Amino acid sequence: MKKLSAAVLLSTIFYALSGFASSENLLNIVHEKVLKNGLKVLVKEDRRAPVMVSQIWYKVGASYEHDGITGLSHVLEHMMFQGTDDFGPGEFSKIIAENGGRENAFTGADYTAYFQTMEASRLEVSLKLEADRMHNLNLQEKEFVKELQVVMEERRMRTEDKPQGQTYEYFKALAYTSSPYRNPIIGWMQDLEDMQLADLADWYKQWYSPNNATLVVVGDVDAQQVFALAEQYFSNILEVSFKSVKKRIEVPQVGIRRSIVKQQAKVPYVLMGYKVPVLNSVEDDADIYALEVLSGILSGGSSARLPSRLVRGSQVASSVSAGYDMAARLPTLFLFDGVPAKGVSAEQLESALLEQIQLLQTSPVEQKELDRIKAQVIASSVYEKDSNFYQAMQIGMLETTGVGWQKGEQYVDKIKAISVENIQAVAKKYLIEDHLTVVHMQPQEMKNAH
Amino acid sequence: MRINSQCFIAGLLFLINTACFAVPTIQHWQTSNGVNVYFIPTDGLSILDARLVFDAGSVRDGSKKGVAALTSNMLDQGAAGQSAQDIAERLESVGAQLGTSTSRDFTSISFRSLTDQNALEPSWNVLKEVLNEPNFPIVDFSREKKRTLLSITRREESPGTLAQLALYKEIFKGHAYASAIQGEESTVSQLVVKDLQNFYQQYYVASNLKVILVGGLSKEQAQNMVEELVGDLPLGVKANAISKVNDVQRGVAIHQEYPSQQTHMMYSTPVLKNNDADYFALYVGNHILGGSGFSSRIVKEIREKRGLAYSAYSYFHPMVEKGPFLMGLQTRNEKASEAASAVKQTLKSFIEEGPTEEELIAAKKNIMGGFALKLDSNKKLLANVVGIVASGASLDYLNNFMGQVKAVTREQVIDAFQRRVKMNSMVMVTVGQALPNKE
Repeated sequence: MKKLSAAVLLSTIFYALSGFASSENLLNIVHEKVLKNGLKVLVKEDRRAPVMVSQIWYKVGASYEHDGITGLSHVLEHMMFQGTDDFGPGEFSKIIAENGGRENAFTGADYTAYFQTMEASRLEVSLKLEADRMHNLNLQEKEFVKELQVVMEERRMRTEDKPQGQTYEYFKALAYTSSPYRNPIIGWMQDLEDMQLADLADWYKQWYSPNNATLVVVGDVDAQQVFALAEQYFSNILEVSFKSVKKRIEVPQVGIRRSIVKQQAKVPYVLMGYKVPVLNSVEDDADIYALEVLSGILSGGSSARLPSRLVRGSQVASSVSAGYDMAARLPTLFLFDGVPAKGVSAEQLESALLEQIQLLQTSPVEQKELDRIKAQVIASSVYEKDSNFYQAMQIGMLETTGVGWQKGEQYVDKIKAISVENIQAVAKKYLIEDHLTVVHMQPQEMKNAH
Repeated sequence: MRINSQCFIAGLLFLINTACFAVPTIQHWQTSNGVNVYFIPTDGLSILDARLVFDAGSVRDGSKKGVAALTSNMLDQGAAGQSAQDIAERLESVGAQLGTSTSRDFTSISFRSLTDQNALEPSWNVLKEVLNEPNFPIVDFSREKKRTLLSITRREESPGTLAQLALYKEIFKGHAYASAIQGEESTVSQLVVKDLQNFYQQYYVASNLKVILVGGLSKEQAQNMVEELVGDLPLGVKANAISKVNDVQRGVAIHQEYPSQQTHMMYSTPVLKNNDADYFALYVGNHILGGSGFSSRIVKEIREKRGLAYSAYSYFHPMVEKGPFLMGLQTRNEKASEAASAVKQTLKSFIEEGPTEEELIAAKKNIMGGFALKLDSNKKLLANVVGIVASGASLDYLNNFMGQVKAVTREQVIDAFQRRVKMNSMVMVTVGQALPNKE
C-alpha cells in the first residue's frame, strides 16, 4: 500500500507554459503543458544530479477491467516490451540499456506506467521509444504465449505460494460487491488461461492514446526542452475518442462480512477493512485528510497506537498495521492487517483491534499524538525530495487517478489543519461494523512437507 | 502494510552496486577514541543520513545463534532509562528515523533526520543513548525473543526463504556463514538477557565501529557530532578475523519437498571476498550473464525464450570471507528439471566461451552510461560509501570505478570465470513438489 502520508510537497504551483524565472527559482515547480492531441506533459526540474526519470502513465489498470478479462492491463504491460513495427522484441530494453538506462513498468488498479531512469541528456531516447510503442505495438502470438506463461509464474510467486497474498485476494473479493477493486490486479488464473491475443489488441487500441496518457519527467532537465521533445515525438499520434468510463460505484454494504481462508501456513493472519471514501468521491475533502491522519495515529511509526499498544503493550500482535490510500480512483477500504503473537488467536487480535477503534470513537486522541504525525508528514515532505523517482511517482499517480497533481501541493497544509475532533468524528462516521469485512487466515497442516 | 498493490514487469535483482561516482570526495578522520569516520557533505536538502557499522554480524554468534540479530533489535527497545515508547516518541515527534539491521558480516544502525537543530539535536541525543546505554529490559527482551521465534516459524511459509537457508547450510558447511541470521528455534529459545549484554559489551566498541555520514552539515559540525556520539565508547578489542570459507569440493543437488506450485531453485557456490583482484572481471561478466535484467543471458534463456520464470538472475555477493555466486529462479513444479538444465547450460557455455565482444561493449555502455544513477540521491551516496568503507576498499574506489570497468577485456572475463566458477563445485538447491517422474 502506498501511503500518501509519505507523500507530496510541491512548494509552488506553476501553470504557465513559458518559463520566465531563473532555473534556481524553478526548483520544485511542476510545469504543465497539454499537447494538441491531449497528451499531458508534467515536468519538475531537480538539478541535484545529472540524471532524470521519465515516466509515462496510462489511465488504465485492473479497475477498468470486467469479469472474464481480469489481468488484461497487466499482461498488456508485459507485451509492451515485446516489439513494435520498427523494433523487434526486447529491442526497447536493449537500447535503453546501451544508453546506461534502467527501466521497468508497473500496473496498479488505476494505472499502468512505464519508466526509464537515465543520464539526463538521454531523455530523447526514452521519449522516442515511448512514443513509438504508444501507437505502433506489434502484438504477436508467439511472444504472447510465452509472456502469458511468465505472468502465470508471477502470479504463482506472488499469490498461490504466498499464504498472506492469497488471503488478501479472497479478502478483496469478499469486501467489494460491484466495485472493480474486487478483482486482483494480476488477474484470476482462469482469466489468464482464457486470455486471447485479440483481447490485448482491443485493450491496446482502446486505452493507449495520447489523450489517455500523462508524461512525467523529473530531474536535470529544462521544462521547455522537454515540451519541445514531447511535441516532436508525440504530436503525430492521433487522439482517440473515449466512451466515458462506467462508474461502477460499490453498492452500500449493509452488514458485516466475515470469512475464513484456509492456507497451508504456520501462523494465522487477520485482515479487516472498512468502506471509506477517497478524495475523488467527495465534495468536501476534510474527512479524507482526517482519515489519512487517523491511519497515522494508528500506524505511523513505532510510537503509534498499534505497535505501542498491541505489539508492546498487550502483546497480542507480533506485527500489525493500518493503511489507507486516499488517492485511489474509487472508494476504497481503510485496512488493518496483523499477525497474532504466539499463543494468541486471530479472534483475540481482531477483538483488540476493535477495541482500539472503539477508543478512537469514544475519546479524542491526545494532541501530542497528532503533533507527532504532523511532524512526520513535514519531515517526509523533505525526505522524499531525495528521490526523483518518488517525486515523479506522486505526480503521475495523482494525475492518473483523477485527483490531479495540484493536490500534492496542498497535502502538508491540509494535514496540518486536522484537529483531534476531526479524527474522532471520522472514526465514528466511517469505522462502523456494518461496513466492515473481516477475514481470518487459518493455517492448515502442510501436505507433503517434511 | 505488507500488501503489494502493484505488479512490476520484472522482479530483477541488481545486487552488486558497491560502485560509486567519481565526483564526491569522501572525507575521513578519526575520533579521539580511534573510530574511523567517513563523510560526504551535500547541499540542496536539509537532511542528514548516518550509518554506524559494527563488526558485529551473525558470524560472531558462536553457539548462541541469533544473538547478534536480537542484540541489534533490542537497542532501541529501552536505553538510558527510557522505554521503547519514549524513544520512539522522541524520534518521531521531530520526524527522525532510526533502524537497526544485522547481516552475516555486520550490524548497522541507520539514522535520518532533518538538519534543523530543533530536529537534529534531540534525535541525535536519542541515537547517542541507544548506542551507548541500551538497557535490554527483560519485558522487551521476552517479547522481541517471542517475535523472533514467530518469524523463524514463518520461514516455513516461504519456499524461497527455505531454499536460501538450505543453500547456505550446504555451501558454507562448517562455517558460521551457514547459519540463519535470526538463528534457530532451539538456539533463540535459550537466549537470556545476559547473552545480549555480553555480546553488546564485546562487539559494540570503538575498535569495531565505522561511522558514515552524508548530508547537509559542515565538516566541523560533523566532527563535533560524531565525537559526542561515539567518544565515550570504550576502545574494546577488535573482533577476530573471520575464518576462511572453504571451497565446495563437490557440488551436490539438494531437494526439499514443499507443497508449493513453484519450485524455487538456487544454483550456487562461494567465490568472492571483498576487494578481490578478479572483482571487476567477474562483475562485468555477471552483468552479461544475469545481472542486468532483460539484457542478460539468464533472462533471455529462462524467461524470454522459454517462459519459465518471472524472475531469473545471477549475482556475486562479495563478503568479508568468500560470499556466494548465485543463479536463481522460480518455476512451476513440472518445469523444474527443464529450468535446471537451462540454468546449468547457460552457466557452462558462459564459462567455456565467455561473452561476445558485442555483449561486452553493451555491458560497459550500460554500466558506465548509468554511472550517475548510482549516486543521484543522499540515500544512494550513503549506501555506496557504506559499501566501500565496510568492505575496506580504498577511498578512491569511486574515482577508479569507470576506468576499472572500461579496462575489462573478454579474455579477462573468461579467465576469471574459468578459474573462479567451477561447474563441479556448484550446489543445486530446489524447494517445491517433486514430480513422480522427476529425474
